Amino acid sequence: MYQVYLRKDKLSKSILVLLVFMLLAPLNLMAQNQAIKGVVKDSKTNEPLIGCSVLVKGTSTGTITDLNGEFSLNASGKSTLVFSFVGYNEKVVAVEGQTNLTILMVENSEMLEEVVVVGYGVQKKSDITGSVTSISKERLSDLPVTNVLQAIQGAAAGITVTQTSSVPGDAPSVLVRGQNSINANSGPYIVVDGIPISKSGGTLNDISPNDIASMEILKDASAVAIYGTNGANGVILITTKRGTSGKPVIRYSGYAGVEGYAHMLTPRNGDEYIEKFKWYKQQRGESQDSPVPNYGELDNYNNGNETDWIDAVSQTGIIQDHNLSISGGAEKIKYYVSADYTNEKGILKGYQYKRFGLRSNIDANVTDFLTIGTSLYLTNHNKDGGRVNLLVASAMSPYGQMYNADGSYKIYPMEPEQLFATPFLNYGNDVERRSFNVNANGYAEVKFGGIFKGLKYKLNVGYTFIPTRTSKYAGRSANDQLGTASIYNSETNSYTIENIVTYSKDFGKSHFDFTGLYSAQERKFNESTAGAQGFVNDALSFNNLGSGATQTSKSYADKYNALSQMGRLNYSYDSKYLATVTVRRDGSSVFGKDSSKYGVFPSVALGWNIYNEGFMKKFEWLDNLKIRASYGKSGNEAISLYQSITKLSNNRLPFSGISTIGLSADNLGNAGLNWETTTGGNIGIDFGIFKNRIMGTIDVYKSNTTDILLKRSLPTITGYENVYNNMGETSNHGIEVTLNTHNIKSKDFNWRSTIIFAANKNKLVDLYGDKQDDLGNRWFIGHPISVIYDYVMEGIWQVGEDVSKQDPTAKAGDIKFADLNGDHVITAEDKKILGQTAPKWTGGLTNTFTYKEWSLNIFLQTAQGMLKNNPDYSYADEAGRRNTPKEVGYWTSENKSQTRPSLAYTNTRGYGYANDASYLRIKDVTLSYNFRPEMISKLGLENLTAYVSGRNLYTFTDWVGWDPEAKHDTRGSGSWEDNYPVVRSFVFGVNITLK
Amino acid sequence: MKKLYIALTALTLTVASCSDSYLDETPYSSYTSDAITDQLGINASIVGIQNSFSNIYTKSDRQGWLSVWQVGTDVASAGGYESIEVPYYNYEKLTASDLGASSIWSLCYKVINNTNILIDNLEQNELPSVTTENKNKALGEAKFFRAYCYNMLATLFGDIPLQEHAVSSAKTDYTRTPIAQVNEFIVNDLAFGSQNLPDIDDVASNSGGKMYSRANKYMAMQLLGEVYIRMNEGAKAEAVLKQIISSNKFSLTKARYGKDIAKDGDYYHDMFIYGNQRRGQGNKETIWTFELENPSSVTGGYTGAPQHRRVWGAAYHNVKGMVLCDSLGGRGLGRLRLSSWLTKSLYKDGDIRNSKYNIHRDFYYNDPANANFGKKIPFQGADTLYWICPSTTKWYCFDEKDTYGWSSIKDWQMMRFGETYLLLAEAQLLQSHLDDAAASINELRKRAFVNYPLQGQVSASDITLDFILDERARELIGEENRRMTLMRTKTLVNRAKLNHDQKYPITGLSDTHLLLPIPLSEIQLNKDGVLDQNPGYTN
Repeated sequence: MYQVYLRKDKLSKSILVLLVFMLLAPLNLMAQNQAIKGVVKDSKTNEPLIGCSVLVKGTSTGTITDLNGEFSLNASGKSTLVFSFVGYNEKVVAVEGQTNLTILMVENSEMLEEVVVVGYGVQKKSDITGSVTSISKERLSDLPVTNVLQAIQGAAAGITVTQTSSVPGDAPSVLVRGQNSINANSGPYIVVDGIPISKSGGTLNDISPNDIASMEILKDASAVAIYGTNGANGVILITTKRGTSGKPVIRYSGYAGVEGYAHMLTPRNGDEYIEKFKWYKQQRGESQDSPVPNYGELDNYNNGNETDWIDAVSQTGIIQDHNLSISGGAEKIKYYVSADYTNEKGILKGYQYKRFGLRSNIDANVTDFLTIGTSLYLTNHNKDGGRVNLLVASAMSPYGQMYNADGSYKIYPMEPEQLFATPFLNYGNDVERRSFNVNANGYAEVKFGGIFKGLKYKLNVGYTFIPTRTSKYAGRSANDQLGTASIYNSETNSYTIENIVTYSKDFGKSHFDFTGLYSAQERKFNESTAGAQGFVNDALSFNNLGSGATQTSKSYADKYNALSQMGRLNYSYDSKYLATVTVRRDGSSVFGKDSSKYGVFPSVALGWNIYNEGFMKKFEWLDNLKIRASYGKSGNEAISLYQSITKLSNNRLPFSGISTIGLSADNLGNAGLNWETTTGGNIGIDFGIFKNRIMGTIDVYKSNTTDILLKRSLPTITGYENVYNNMGETSNHGIEVTLNTHNIKSKDFNWRSTIIFAANKNKLVDLYGDKQDDLGNRWFIGHPISVIYDYVMEGIWQVGEDVSKQDPTAKAGDIKFADLNGDHVITAEDKKILGQTAPKWTGGLTNTFTYKEWSLNIFLQTAQGMLKNNPDYSYADEAGRRNTPKEVGYWTSENKSQTRPSLAYTNTRGYGYANDASYLRIKDVTLSYNFRPEMISKLGLENLTAYVSGRNLYTFTDWVGWDPEAKHDTRGSGSWEDNYPVVRSFVFGVNITLK
Repeated sequence: MKKLYIALTALTLTVASCSDSYLDETPYSSYTSDAITDQLGINASIVGIQNSFSNIYTKSDRQGWLSVWQVGTDVASAGGYESIEVPYYNYEKLTASDLGASSIWSLCYKVINNTNILIDNLEQNELPSVTTENKNKALGEAKFFRAYCYNMLATLFGDIPLQEHAVSSAKTDYTRTPIAQVNEFIVNDLAFGSQNLPDIDDVASNSGGKMYSRANKYMAMQLLGEVYIRMNEGAKAEAVLKQIISSNKFSLTKARYGKDIAKDGDYYHDMFIYGNQRRGQGNKETIWTFELENPSSVTGGYTGAPQHRRVWGAAYHNVKGMVLCDSLGGRGLGRLRLSSWLTKSLYKDGDIRNSKYNIHRDFYYNDPANANFGKKIPFQGADTLYWICPSTTKWYCFDEKDTYGWSSIKDWQMMRFGETYLLLAEAQLLQSHLDDAAASINELRKRAFVNYPLQGQVSASDITLDFILDERARELIGEENRRMTLMRTKTLVNRAKLNHDQKYPITGLSDTHLLLPIPLSEIQLNKDGVLDQNPGYTN
């Protein structure tokens, strides 16, 4: 949403500022010799415009209007004056000897009305025909987030944001209107200032949330169709702040605060640990000759020393962010320059994230027909540091020994147990994780005149350079007796070139807007890793790989290209009847040489502003009513490169002591690969009633995705595990509701609410053309794409129960699975679909209370109806060898648990322990105070807001574990070494604008 | 007009950059099979085949993988087990979803696809720069590995889908080819190899010397002998095995040799010391040694993470007062332990294969800081079961730079001349030539018993299949895939009865388990064809 407020409104509220201007006004008068005087007024209201810029054309002489809208300056009688004011059309007036001028400025209607960025242009909100969600301003400021997506979780209907990792600097994942694709990327296409960041190698982590002016999400087929093969998963458009004419605005926004565990999954203490081991031995049928599993724990056990390992690996997290921006501009040139610094010290030792960013957005009217501009930014990320391991810390025996006699960390605290080394194993490692994003975008726009009036040509060019480096060294302290070092470097170079032609024309009450596009995109990527092993000692770290005994190196390079053409026609009649027609043609290099590499994606959308009809005037309580309908086609090409080509992988094997290169089959390519197509329709209604006290948007949609880029599992008889094919069909339908209400409206106290609700139903329609399930891949026709298919746990087998009729091989303490097919044994046929892994619905509720200068904002966020396998329930054969969380119980013959198996249970059936992962979070609470001008004026401030904010304050959930949303991998799988708890943060922040 | 020119110029510049080839895709960093056109490419393909073959033995995501092939038989029981091997002694848990069965299935078919890619290339393309002789050598190597894997699959699963050529697009209509046809295919491949592979000392060389771990013709012959026996073709087996013997290229090790000759030990043990295992290192008994190198000195020294030492070695380091050392074979986990039958009643007195150098039985506290230093560790408590259990020293290895030893860096004894006599005896037994069989066994006995013939000599009346299986255990413990041997001879059920170990006893074993279940995932993914399940298995 891009709303321009009028400076005069703001100032008129403040008597103090008036006084200041009164003081300034005589100064202006005093400076003149041969005065040209005048007054500037609004053409409609006839009210004086305060602070309007007046410039003598071709000179640097100028002034601004005073409190009465009056100005005076020195100029020759033949000069020309240029008047400019935010929200008004520029006015050029020849003096022609006059000494007292009255200037009437005309409001710029396009800017006054809410405009929405729609891709390759902007549109008045009232003219929008597709389903476009704008993120509210409140979610874009005063929140301790390092990535803007963290701020919009639950705040925009139809956008599912999941923060699976809270590691400082990790980005959340986003899904728009459910999952279309199975194997291809399902994340939305992200465009920043007109240039896609999605395929450039950059991420939203590169954009400081403070620099974001607006954020729009295109959801329905018509809105996304203009992005063709990149549109099917939705499009996020981000516009950064730009300068406006007028005096410079210097603004500082900053916050700092502390972080801690949002939820602690407490391990067992000493007594509970001893008790568990006793049961473990008993349940395994083994005699117990020691109270603790390992002799390395005996000393501490005998001396009664317990260690809180979680506490030992934790620290108080500190997060801070500082953003300084200067924006402003003169008649012909406008600028926005900002610097941003973020520093997050994680709550686990060794985790940290630093980001430094610079941005420079400049627009210049070079001539009356040519405008050029740039958006330049540079972002530097730093995630250095050897890290502790949370999973290992939670597995440590409370009687484990942390230190050696010399004070160094003991490698195996539970000697001789070597499955779990100390959680500090990698803490002392030298690690540097760096990346940069150097981004240079520029445009040139030519306005044509004469018979070509209304025609514009815009050349939009974006270039991105992203170098990254990860350097690592692990030595003796990490139990690497050789010393191992590696340096990874990568470089991504990408460019986008867009030629955009727009033409607008009015015929009577009809208004036409045409947009044409021809664009090309390229991304080149290369990476290399150099490694060495066998160092004399640890002194040189990774700084001299040549001093290692064995050297390894590898590298990789690839290239991606795309070509696009697009045309869009917007038509409106009398602001009542609206239509949009678009066609896009896209070609992409990722498709097979035996296919056409091109796809064509048309769409159409219609809108009816019923409110503007004469017959609606009698409904006085109604302030807005619009109906929208759209239908269209978009595509998805988001598979990794070279899937259409059968390749060999290179490997090595030694012969007679000589390392020798080998080539073996890598992947099975499919030369016929092509895009997947999503066809969908959307019907929406926008309304406002009771003087807009209640405003809302409701959308219902349905989309079908066909020719899915399916990574189809193959029988391994083929020698391959899978191949990409265009096959199958999925569908999504759902409803999205956004309601903004102004519950209490009074002079001093106001209560506003925003309610977001979105439900999506995802379904596999077909896979291989025969409507048959694919059990091997766990894909079931008529069910969501991602489901949990597993046994049904009925309880636990108790001592003395007869297992023979249900699961003849079960023992007491084993999980009792339902014998669904009644054949008196538990086989794979007793599995069924237990539920889906995507939430059935998501929602958010924002309540904002303002009392005078105080404002309290409470934001709740929820995701409901999803199942997730619980890694903290599944320790396989490790349950007796490690400590486990207090909350995760175990069966004994005494407690007769019906929920947890015995410690001897080895889970040979691979049961996943699916649990309901629904949750409701008190996500953000922000209390802010906006200082009254008279309080801060002496400090030279125009605006000062101070706030305290708390994030992830409480979570309501039945989930047993660290967090229902966060991903915690089991030992040895995925990114288990970076398991990280969800953090709760409290920050204090200020926003300052200098006068 | 000026404006128009600017616009047109910009437009032209940007459009001109986009030619037809703009969307062409070239993998910059990968070879494709079209690129294999000369001897260098062929050599690399063969290395690639061996690389994928080695994955069968180096799978380490499930550390109990190697135990699958030993526990639940006569020779071994579970010790510090992982979990993949549990259904291989609690046989009632062996179902079509079993991970052990699906793993060996996939690993073998991956090798087969790699061999097919090279074989198709050699048989279907011109390759003008490659001589016919070299072409046939390469075909022989590829076909040897193809046959090796098909033989494993046929032994373990019975009828199996026969994929004779490389797969170039999705295929999901497989059926099980009758085993007779599979056997014929294997025999053809091996017969080709026997004729076209080089003699053992004629293998190609590199800067390190002769590459003895590349395929030679005796490898094909030994495997062909085993395949004929499985096919009940005793005479054919005998004939091909005798070619190995009559080549005079191999001899049973009967005298000490190699790097540890000055240390305590015996000549049988010398063959299983890393550094002595290869033909180039003085081992004249080996027909095929699969070579591994320490990656800290040779890049790409092995694939995966070989678990042999951890599976076969005792976990003595768990005992307080014990530290890891080379003489006890580094860090074992005792994932399996030799059965009491093997350690207590199999060997006769005077058998070198049961010497303390070859089967380690007694452990003594070796931490000088411990009060009991030097004293013998008593068997007590359940854990000593695999902490200080007797173990074969064939997989002992120790890397002082990496005592934790995630991988065991030691060559694999794949085929040994000693086994040639065992196979020969079996072939002769099939023809009821018991005297010949006894003579074959006695060749091994002469080496195994210093006091032969006072000790160790056998006669025709001793020869039964059980006797030969006993002798295979004595000779090949730690080397042979015991499960495959017992499945090949259909003796698994009876032989397993010899194993009376009380801890983790064998349960649920029946004739069903003479074949493994066809992996359920394969049946399900093969949606356009029917892969029947083996009898007795439920999905």
